[in-house]
Amino acid sequence: MVTDPGDRVIEPYVETDNSVETRKAVSDGLLGIHNVTSNTFWQFAAFFGILFLLGVVGFVMRLSSGFDDKAAWGYYVAVFAFLMTTSSAAPMVAIAPRIANSHWRRPISRAAEIWTLAGCLNLILYIPLIWLLPSLENGRRSLWFYGQQEGVPAYSPHIWATLAIVGLVLLGLSLLWLSTLPDFAVLRDHGEGWKKKWGGKLALGWRGTSAQWNWQHHRMGVVGAFYFMMLVFVHFFISVEFLMVHVPGWIDSLYPITHAHNALQAGVATVMLTMFFLRQFGGYKDYIGLDQFWGLGKLLLALSLLWFWFWFSSFNVFWYGKKPSEQAVLELFVKGPYLYLFITIFILVFILPWFTMIWNPVRRSIWGPPILAASVLLGTLLDRIRLYVASWDVAGKNMVSQLEMKMSEVPTKIPVPEIADIFIMVGFIGGSILTFMLATRLIPAINLWEQKEMLLYKAEVQFHRTKVTIMGKSR
Amino acid sequence: MVDSNKWGMVVDVDRCTGCQGCVVACQSENNIPINLEEHFNQRRAIQWIRIERYWEGEYPDVKARFIPIMCQHCGNAPCEPVCPVYATYHNNEGLNVQVYNRCIGTRFCANGCPYHVRFFNFWEPEWPESLKNQLNPDVTVRSRGIMEKCSFCVQRIQRSTRESERDNEVLEDGDRGLNPACVNACASNALIFGNFNDPDSTVSKMKEDAMQEGGRGYRLMENLGTDTNVIYLKKVDGSVEVTHGY
Amino acid sequence: MQEHTQLGQKQINEDLLKGVLTVPKWWLPAVAFLGLVVLTGLGAFFYMVYHGMGVTGLNRPVMWGFFIANFVFWIGISHAGIMISAILRLTQADWRRPITRAAEVMTVFSLIAALHTPLMHVGRPWRVLYWIFPYDFSRGIWPNIRSPFVWDPSAVGTYLIASSLFVFVCLLPDIAILRDRAKKPIVKKIYAQLALGFRGTPRQWKLQIVAGILLSALVLPVFVSVHSIVSWDFAVLIGVEGWHSTIFAPYFIIGAIHSGVSAVAMLMALSVWLYGLDKYIKPDHFDAIGRLLIIVATTWFFFFFLEWVYALYTLESPELALRELQAFQWPYAPLFVLFIVTAFVIPVPMWLFKKVRRSAALMFFTTILVNIGMWLERFLIIIPGLVRRTHMTFDWGTYHPSIIEILIVVETFAFVALGMLLFAKVLPLIPLFDIKEGMVNRRLIKVGRRVIPATIREGLPHHYYEKKH
Repeated sequence: MVTDPGDRVIEPYVETDNSVETRKAVSDGLLGIHNVTSNTFWQFAAFFGILFLLGVVGFVMRLSSGFDDKAAWGYYVAVFAFLMTTSSAAPMVAIAPRIANSHWRRPISRAAEIWTLAGCLNLILYIPLIWLLPSLENGRRSLWFYGQQEGVPAYSPHIWATLAIVGLVLLGLSLLWLSTLPDFAVLRDHGEGWKKKWGGKLALGWRGTSAQWNWQHHRMGVVGAFYFMMLVFVHFFISVEFLMVHVPGWIDSLYPITHAHNALQAGVATVMLTMFFLRQFGGYKDYIGLDQFWGLGKLLLALSLLWFWFWFSSFNVFWYGKKPSEQAVLELFVKGPYLYLFITIFILVFILPWFTMIWNPVRRSIWGPPILAASVLLGTLLDRIRLYVASWDVAGKNMVSQLEMKMSEVPTKIPVPEIADIFIMVGFIGGSILTFMLATRLIPAINLWEQKEMLLYKAEVQFHRTKVTIMGKSR
Repeated sequence: MVDSNKWGMVVDVDRCTGCQGCVVACQSENNIPINLEEHFNQRRAIQWIRIERYWEGEYPDVKARFIPIMCQHCGNAPCEPVCPVYATYHNNEGLNVQVYNRCIGTRFCANGCPYHVRFFNFWEPEWPESLKNQLNPDVTVRSRGIMEKCSFCVQRIQRSTRESERDNEVLEDGDRGLNPACVNACASNALIFGNFNDPDSTVSKMKEDAMQEGGRGYRLMENLGTDTNVIYLKKVDGSVEVTHGY
Repeated sequence: MQEHTQLGQKQINEDLLKGVLTVPKWWLPAVAFLGLVVLTGLGAFFYMVYHGMGVTGLNRPVMWGFFIANFVFWIGISHAGIMISAILRLTQADWRRPITRAAEVMTVFSLIAALHTPLMHVGRPWRVLYWIFPYDFSRGIWPNIRSPFVWDPSAVGTYLIASSLFVFVCLLPDIAILRDRAKKPIVKKIYAQLALGFRGTPRQWKLQIVAGILLSALVLPVFVSVHSIVSWDFAVLIGVEGWHSTIFAPYFIIGAIHSGVSAVAMLMALSVWLYGLDKYIKPDHFDAIGRLLIIVATTWFFFFFLEWVYALYTLESPELALRELQAFQWPYAPLFVLFIVTAFVIPVPMWLFKKVRRSAALMFFTTILVNIGMWLERFLIIIPGLVRRTHMTFDWGTYHPSIIEILIVVETFAFVALGMLLFAKVLPLIPLFDIKEGMVNRRLIKVGRRVIPATIREGLPHHYYEKKH
């Protein structure tokens, strides 16, 4: 700390309780909860496992229907996009508060990071999509500007999208591993059985020296920053290549950002629900408290309000200008066959969170924010269905070389989902949850080292007539 | 007599010789300020109807193409919703009208117009003493700071409507007292004015004929969806594929 | 916030009230000069009113020029106040304390500067009241709610009122201090009226703090909507190339945060140099604002890139012609290069180095560059689109700003500077009570061999953190 000579008031300081005993107590407490697996857990895991099997069946059924009828793949892509928005954005709840030095993130950052593993599941869903994307040869609009004329390879979009999505998953896995590294070492040293074995394998000689800690913190920061940038990049690609190019005349420069923002909102909602279940059923009642729900609740409220702003920015410009091509796009997604679906989404994702979470009693409670998180997640799922099913329905009409869509070409009905689609939706969402649950058997659901680190920063002092908790700021 | 009118124009580009007679007629009818050379150099000349001249081809096969452009009186006018003081609005006869008294000169409407037919009085208009007697008493003389544009000579429409009601007569299609000054002045009858809501009027018949598949009719910048009340007829040329009409 | 000088209340009072109770040597000449510039600008405005808009460089099709670019620029700068005050207050960031008031006051003055530009740019300024006030009661004609130009005064007006309230609520304790120190009876009376009877009782403090937090939360939606509405002045039009883009709302806002926070960094450096406040604004503060600026600038650059990508994505020839004009043709090409270089290419890589971030001089230099770049950005969004529009090449135009426009633009800068200087003479530029609160709430924790600052966890009672092992 820099000291200034002259005119200083002497400042007393407090020592934090960072003794080995206290740290061991924290570690043992958490490990104790981690090592217990109840029967209910296996029952739910079995349930989600069955759902996942249904999902695999649906996946095979969908594959067998072939790649020619693009309109039939609408629901499939919607599920892929939904899983991408929720599971890939969840780690942001770990990354962003770390940069902002917010201590309330400590109990929930691991849960947020574990959701990356569901991203691996999403990769399986992604593979058939590579065949579904139209190449640049038929004169469609694309991010690659002039397409064939400039010597751009016809399969550029496919290559870039694959690189981006695979890159995102790899970055997420790196982040998860870096974050769990010290905890694997704890498992190796204090765990039993298969956890001890696998903890040892994954800990790679972690000893907890200063150099190792510095390295770990630094890499986590860098990987986190790159993860965020890659996330925005991925959403940029998905929203253009899988959504906008299929609807001629849908030129919405804001949409990649809207898509990324919806992902952040859904990610926060996912983590909110996860921590609710961890608290109520996972035995972590003493670790996940009101602070976490309050902090995430504020974030959820702000993001829900922003949802409206992003949607309205696009809508206003299209609606006001009255260009026929844009009116057709609005008819497709908002005013036409999807009107009631849109109103439902609007209420679930914006109106409900806004009118409930502005009230302190709702926001500052254990039950309030999770209910709204469920509402947001349901709304996001419906929103993805609305956008992707509508867009691929138009894609099925093979208008991709046109520059504009006429009002008469707008579909008038919502396509009905087939059995395969329902299986895929239910199955892969269940499969993601199953992945999370199984992962928590090895990876502790609450970050041990972050909780121990909190001991370094936390102390109790007397403030006038009461005792208050003070939290140190490392920067 | 129809219940409500929808005034519009058909412009036959094939007949336009670029003589600028319509421009002069409009200027004298509507008290448009005199455009000196310096106004043209400053790009502030006011011409409610202007002849745009485009050169095509390389020497010696150069051709000049003329197209008269005036306010299109769009059904979906982009200039109308943006005026903060309602100085421009759509009346019930299909005209996009400009209320000079209300205009405060924000120039938002001028930016909205894709056809660039809105003009702003950057300077206070000046007429030499002798020309002041020539000003049309039926038309407001605008001061500086006001937007103006073609009104389809709304003063002539108003007068003809009044007179026909007074005399209990039907408003005739193509009546020279009703036509805007530019339509009357055009020596080659390139401009035709009339009521689109009257199925028997010349403009209605021409529009119906020309807007069919393969016809000569088109609207300016149709993809913007402004729903103009002015229909243009393509120039008949070897290069133009016309399969219907004349 | 590691660097800190723990000072007593008496010392804080002396240091921070110095600007009010004494007149620095440079103050009078500076005010006189700025006043002269403002008067010249007003003189130019009256010249324009007398002779007509023809004295500007505006023409058909370029109906909006320097004035509107300036308007958007000042609205942009005004967003800094909210960013620093409201958001940093709600996230309990301690490093905001010395800079909130300067940022908020700059917001108020830049909003006034922004508001007087559209009033000046209309053709008949003496009728401008029609814009906001319904003049024709007998015919029941109200201002046109569908016009973005009517949304503008509503939004900017709301923002101005909210910001002024915010400044005032946070000023109350400091006005009370000045009231108690004032010697001349008339001065004492004025401060007494303004202080609204603030005595520092617990109830008054509680109300003041709650009011500050409420205003912070409520002004955030205004913050988002104001610049969105200003951007919709352009985005709703289909007739101008490059304007009809949905990204305009967030793009303008992030640009506003970029230029606004840079302006706050400039103010910080000026406070340290002109008022000798280096015990309060430390290199750590510059470091914190520098790190915020890196994130904001990079986000802004991404939005700028997105806007360009989508312009080219449309494959429409008028749009492509516009971009060619903006980036490759005289006179916009060198301005474009200058803008990119000053707004991003020079500052951001410099800010990546801690040494640059901690130096007041280098931060001042880089943030001036940013603001030059951002003014040019507004210019490059507005004018090239108006110059080259649509398929009708016959109507393509040019634009050359006249001396009148330049003088009026300069006047707005002088106005804001003058306003800040006059304010600093009458009321303290750094909030005393905020600094004292920081000193009082400050605790230290020993972590290993280091002693780091710690904040009291606001909000929940401490027993909630006790874990039952």
